[in-house]
Amino acid sequence: MRLCTRTSGQLAALLTAMFGAFVALTVSAQQNAAPVSPHADVLSLGGSVTEIVAALGQQHRLKARDSTSSYPPGVTDLPDVGYVRSLSPEGVLSVGPSLILSEEGAGPPEALDVIRAADVDFVEVPDALTTEGILRKIEVIGDALGVADRADGLAAEVETALSAAMADAERPEADKKRVLFVLSTQGGRINASGAGTAADALIRMAGGVNAVSEFEGYKQITDEAVGLAAPDVILMMDRGGDHGLADDELFDMPSIRMTPAAQTRSVVRMDGLLMLGFGPRTADAVRQLNDALYGQGA
Amino acid sequence: MSLIAEDIRVSYGRRTALRGVSLTARPGEVTAIVGPNGSGKSTLLGAITASLPFDGAVTLNGRDIGAMKPWELAAQRAVLPQASRLAFPFTVIEVVRLGLQSGTAGDSPDVPMRALARVGLAHYADRIFQELSGGEAQRVMLARVLAQVWTPVADGQPRWLLLDEPVSSLDIAHQLQVMDIARSFARAGGGVIAVMHDLNLTALFADRVAVLAEGQCLAFGTPGEVLTDDILSRAYGCALRVSAPPPADIPYILPHAATA
Amino acid sequence: MAALSEIETAPRDRLSRARALHWGLAGAFGLACIVSLQVGATNVTLLAMLAKLAQGEALSQMERVVLFDIRLPRLAMGMLVGAALAVSGAAMQGLFRNPLADPGIVGVGAGAGLGAILAIVLGGLLPAAMIDLIGNQLVPVAAFLGGWGSTLLLYRVSTRHGSTSVATMLLAGIALGALAGALSGILVYMADDRQLRDLTFWGLGSLAGASWAKVISAGPLIGLSIGAALMLGRGLNGLALGEATAAHIGIDVQRMKSIAILAVAGATGAAVAVSGGIGFIGIVVPHLLRLASGPDHRTLLLNSALLGAILLVLADVIARVVIAPAELPIGIVTAVLGAPVFLWILLKRRGLVEK
Repeated sequence: MRLCTRTSGQLAALLTAMFGAFVALTVSAQQNAAPVSPHADVLSLGGSVTEIVAALGQQHRLKARDSTSSYPPGVTDLPDVGYVRSLSPEGVLSVGPSLILSEEGAGPPEALDVIRAADVDFVEVPDALTTEGILRKIEVIGDALGVADRADGLAAEVETALSAAMADAERPEADKKRVLFVLSTQGGRINASGAGTAADALIRMAGGVNAVSEFEGYKQITDEAVGLAAPDVILMMDRGGDHGLADDELFDMPSIRMTPAAQTRSVVRMDGLLMLGFGPRTADAVRQLNDALYGQGA
Repeated sequence: MSLIAEDIRVSYGRRTALRGVSLTARPGEVTAIVGPNGSGKSTLLGAITASLPFDGAVTLNGRDIGAMKPWELAAQRAVLPQASRLAFPFTVIEVVRLGLQSGTAGDSPDVPMRALARVGLAHYADRIFQELSGGEAQRVMLARVLAQVWTPVADGQPRWLLLDEPVSSLDIAHQLQVMDIARSFARAGGGVIAVMHDLNLTALFADRVAVLAEGQCLAFGTPGEVLTDDILSRAYGCALRVSAPPPADIPYILPHAATA
Repeated sequence: MAALSEIETAPRDRLSRARALHWGLAGAFGLACIVSLQVGATNVTLLAMLAKLAQGEALSQMERVVLFDIRLPRLAMGMLVGAALAVSGAAMQGLFRNPLADPGIVGVGAGAGLGAILAIVLGGLLPAAMIDLIGNQLVPVAAFLGGWGSTLLLYRVSTRHGSTSVATMLLAGIALGALAGALSGILVYMADDRQLRDLTFWGLGSLAGASWAKVISAGPLIGLSIGAALMLGRGLNGLALGEATAAHIGIDVQRMKSIAILAVAGATGAAVAVSGGIGFIGIVVPHLLRLASGPDHRTLLLNSALLGAILLVLADVIARVVIAPAELPIGIVTAVLGAPVFLWILLKRRGLVEK
């Protein structure tokens, strides 16, 4: 059958090409090797966890990190094991850590079982939205790394700085500005933070009021709800793409246009990890936001 | 061992397609069913082949077809449908082999080719079915049906060919060829029931004819008895004259005058 | 009438070519298994380990974990899921007499997805005793129940007087899919950030959660279902002539439909439950095989199982290695490889479907 032979030939060619591409991919991938310090033995999962490790002076012990770890700048050169809730067990083992420090919620559970079976220590660091929580993070990480003294020192510093920042940020209720944290404006819809989130906690620490607190978590809200919230200031993460809308575009959106924030063109952009990570730089985050809301020295 | 249909009644919703038709087909004979469109010919065949629900009884070789499993029926009778559909690009020989599944020939390797040869399409064996013309496709389906009941008589019982308009897409030469196959099958001891459109071919090849009109059987008997002016005119609702020569200046070609 | 002398040599036989393909694919499958065990993010290789064993040395802890706890379960799951999806695709295409059908057509995909979303978003609402019992297998169990439930629902809706109408099933499947989509939308709205990410990753499919527990729980069901489907070869061939004619040549059409639907629900339901939503295998694999060796289901079903297993195992190797130490969801790999092949097939569409 002529039709069959010609089609079979094309089919064979296509499959061979695919197979060749496959071989090339696997060979090239196998040749990746990142240079690391000889003392490195720790895999850190979670942006704030990595920050704390570095703040404890243990950055040289990091062998690899996850996709949310972006501070301090040196860590982005380390291998990236991907999204913390979707780890590759063999990928993690290939990094060769003897200790894994992880924020809450790493997964999938089967991957964690395998990693533990390979005699790798796995320490989970509890999430935090309060001063006490941050101090607990530092304590847990310090213990795991064997630098409990340094951890105490760091914890004391952080507590002092944070209390001072929060005290300076205090003001009477009537003077507090209403802040709307916008996670994204994809598709023209406002995805905002309600109560119980890192953004909500930061806003309150910095002397502001969360303009929407009727719901928990990050949700899409209607244009009317934005109007009702009547925020004085819009707070956003400083990232490219839709997360970092230009001011003009932002205030042009129908939902935002009518808000007091639009009338005064008040928008604050801050680094995402700094704002929401609740790591050692939280005091800086509080001061930065407070200054942005009320002016320096206010 | 005949095929006996008794008092067949079929309704589609409110429309009654068959109002109690009875028919007896004998082995060794070609039994034709004729009638106008909508008279219930295909419906009757559908009841006989257990393809649709009906009231009444059909007995095949002494057994009620309602009590027989699909493979038991398939071993005794083969059905040629009116339209030939095929969902996937099988080759012609593969289609013919489909008939062997429950048929009497087992997996015998040469029956499909011999069946194709009988319909004159042995040289098409490797062609893709969808590339054939309507007439060729119909002949391939006939080959499949023949392969299913390759031996007209087996275990002392006749096998049956049930054909729904077997020559509708064929040219006159192939019409004669196919009707000849049907008659040979009958002469070898098998039974044939064919729904026919063409009255001339019916007259040539059928041993007995049933004339249906409006869901009822008007007449049943030999072609000579049944194909009369009166019966045909009543059945088809127009004035028909049997064996009357046509006007002199218009040519007429009858299959009767053809030679194989 | 044609004389017997017209019969020349036996016609060229696609059947023997298809049977030869069994052996070819089995060999390729063996090769794929070796590649799967040899290659990975760590430097552990199968051949090195075999050499060690041959010299009487013991394997290190790492080597044992990588081989027995990571790569072997993934290989087992990959071949089970790949075979399940491909055979289900071939069976559904045969049953619906349409080369564009895929296993999800009986509602398994929509139901499994809805089950998974329910488990991810509302799982915390279950009584503590139940959560302890099911442990972290809540999502797979819910996905499986969802898949089965929706298939049974579709089956009941389309079956009257003991006869199943595939046309009704198709339409009802569309309606069910729309309903599942709406319910999923509500749950997506209720979900928090983490749950949304989990949902997205589940939808992309992954073998990263492979474990012996999953292989043991899904394996027998998939094996049985594939076994049942492999017996449908003759029946599906006959069905290509249409349901009425299939009955005339002796096939018990209703029994075949029931077996096909149940087998697909079992195989695909279990596969989707343990690995999430992996696409294209079900449509592309049977197509490629029909092009290579014809549509005869007696060989197509087995070859589909083999080729599906091979492709998914190799796709998993790519997923594990291409962005190591991170991992691509395997659904992305099958889509990136499968979509161009699918387009190529559609462009070459002469004679592939009923005119």
